Amino acid sequence: MQREGPPIETLTRRLAECPADFLAAPRIGAIGTVNVAAVVSDLLRDLGGAPLSDAQTGPFVSRQARADRNRLGVVLVACWLLHDPWFQRSAQFAGAAGQLLSGGLREAAEATPADQFVSDPDRREELARLCLRDLGLRPAGESLAQAQDRLTTLNAAERRRVVAAARQAEERANAIRAAMRQRAEDEANAKAMRE
Amino acid sequence: MTPPIDLDPQAQHRFPLLTPAGQARLQRLQEHPHAPRYNHHGVDRLSAEGLARVAAFEAQLAAEPRGWRPGETPAWLVELADFCFRAVPAYREYGPRPPSFFDIPTCERADLSREPWNFVPDTLPLDGLTVFQTSGATGHPLDILTHPEVLAHYLPLLRAALALHGVSLPAATAADPDYMALAVISDQATTYTYAAVSAYLNQAGLVKLNLRPADWRNPDDRTRFLDDCRPAVISGDPVALAALADLPLAHRPRALVSTSMALLPGLRQRLTERFGCPVVDIYSLNESGPVAAAGPEGDGYHILSHRLYVEILGEDGAPCPPGQRGEIALSGGFNPFLPLLRYRTGDYARLDLSKPRQAVLHDLEGRQPVTFRAADGRRLNNIDITAALKPLALPQFALHQAADGALRLRVAGGRTDEAALRSAIGRVFGPDTPLTIAPLAANDKVRQYSAEAGDDV
Repeated sequence: MQREGPPIETLTRRLAECPADFLAAPRIGAIGTVNVAAVVSDLLRDLGGAPLSDAQTGPFVSRQARADRNRLGVVLVACWLLHDPWFQRSAQFAGAAGQLLSGGLREAAEATPADQFVSDPDRREELARLCLRDLGLRPAGESLAQAQDRLTTLNAAERRRVVAAARQAEERANAIRAAMRQRAEDEANAKAMRE
Repeated sequence: MTPPIDLDPQAQHRFPLLTPAGQARLQRLQEHPHAPRYNHHGVDRLSAEGLARVAAFEAQLAAEPRGWRPGETPAWLVELADFCFRAVPAYREYGPRPPSFFDIPTCERADLSREPWNFVPDTLPLDGLTVFQTSGATGHPLDILTHPEVLAHYLPLLRAALALHGVSLPAATAADPDYMALAVISDQATTYTYAAVSAYLNQAGLVKLNLRPADWRNPDDRTRFLDDCRPAVISGDPVALAALADLPLAHRPRALVSTSMALLPGLRQRLTERFGCPVVDIYSLNESGPVAAAGPEGDGYHILSHRLYVEILGEDGAPCPPGQRGEIALSGGFNPFLPLLRYRTGDYARLDLSKPRQAVLHDLEGRQPVTFRAADGRRLNNIDITAALKPLALPQFALHQAADGALRLRVAGGRTDEAALRSAIGRVFGPDTPLTIAPLAANDKVRQYSAEAGDDV
């Protein structure tokens, strides 16, 4: 984050204007419309790098909807963001962008549905700052400390929300499993009485 | 009039809407001199509010279309998909709901089997939760989470299936104090048996019976009980219906209903002639309830519910072009504990959407098509074999072809004409194909076709 990048407002506005094509369903097997590897490949070329080789397409091709669909959705949104003219003009971020898109968005995708990085102001800012950080940039006009502090604040709030949601989901699953066990015990007791 | 005394103190708990008339019917079924040795308590925990909701469902069922145009997604389906992606953990895991319904990932039995609780919406109260287990033929035993109100929805759908054949299933009236609406029969080593009354059918009697003699004090009681109780409709799998046909029953039900397994035309014809009534074949899954029922003219299986959306998918999960055969995928249903979105059933058919108010399945097969090899090396579709065996009254069968081409045909039921079987198989595979014929234990679904010599398609 040593270098200044574009103003954060430019990036969050770009995310808010994300076209429907980048929010369409990523292709998983035969289902979905967007070939994510092709989109990433086009982006890297527009950023001045080489398109993906066959060996590099692995992270962008999946048959596991439950595991990968949201992550690939976040990759598409990030592709739209990184296609901003500022990055294209620099013509030096293809390598870092490739790394970010290959593995750097996994944690964000586990916590947040892809479309929230477009519809939710805090998540827009979070994704914009995450991308800048992984490209070694900070928002224009911010000091290194300010940029780090703001990203930490956004991350911490999101982590709290995610942890609370996960706890709530686990409690609900436990309640259902307990109800299932209780029904099984009722049934076993009734059976024992009959016999 | 003094209401009869129910000897079971739990009756009110098991039947919250029980009336004196219902109590009398229940008591008669339980204490009938020729009743079986019931091994389970009947229940009908429908509440008054639930009863009203099931009645509303039946009214909608009669009024709303059970079809759609190719590629069309009804408004209720869009709402269901929105709800599932908002409130059901299993679907939320996919991320945001895709703009197109057809981009929603498919799910299958293994997903339900692994974490059934993940399909329960966040906000759904767990009061009255019921669990039943299915063994399944695909290696994935399943806990189905359901509710008494869900189970009551089977009755309107059964009525819709019967209506295709011009048969009604009336509720009880004071004029017939002994009225039994439905007898569900089986013919297997062990199964639950019980007597109950249905609040939805105004306290009409219902029984679940096992026709195996061991379940009865006297084997002749099977006939005496059914002849005396005169169930309006008798339902069972083809094995049980074949066993029923062997009893010297004088009673003629309004209809027979076949479920659970493929009903071959030969047996249907035999049952129709034996009982002088329509035989209604229903395609049903534990996961969704009744899906479709065969029409009276061999005109395919008519989708029964206005809240069930059926797709036909290719092996890769993409929708097949209209009229092409593929795997049946279901969305909707009436079980709030198990909202289905693009659930791959493992069953195969073609979907006919030519009538916008009534979708119809053709060439329905409950298992993935399997190819066999004829003696001269030709590939054979299992549909060819089904067609060859159609004239024979087989309640259930399973055919396996070993790698060397030898066939093993297992057949349930005692009335097997071995020469006719050999002739039918020989016509399809060639007369020199080695064939072993063996009995089939008729306890559960089996994989009807399997082949080491051919290819799964």
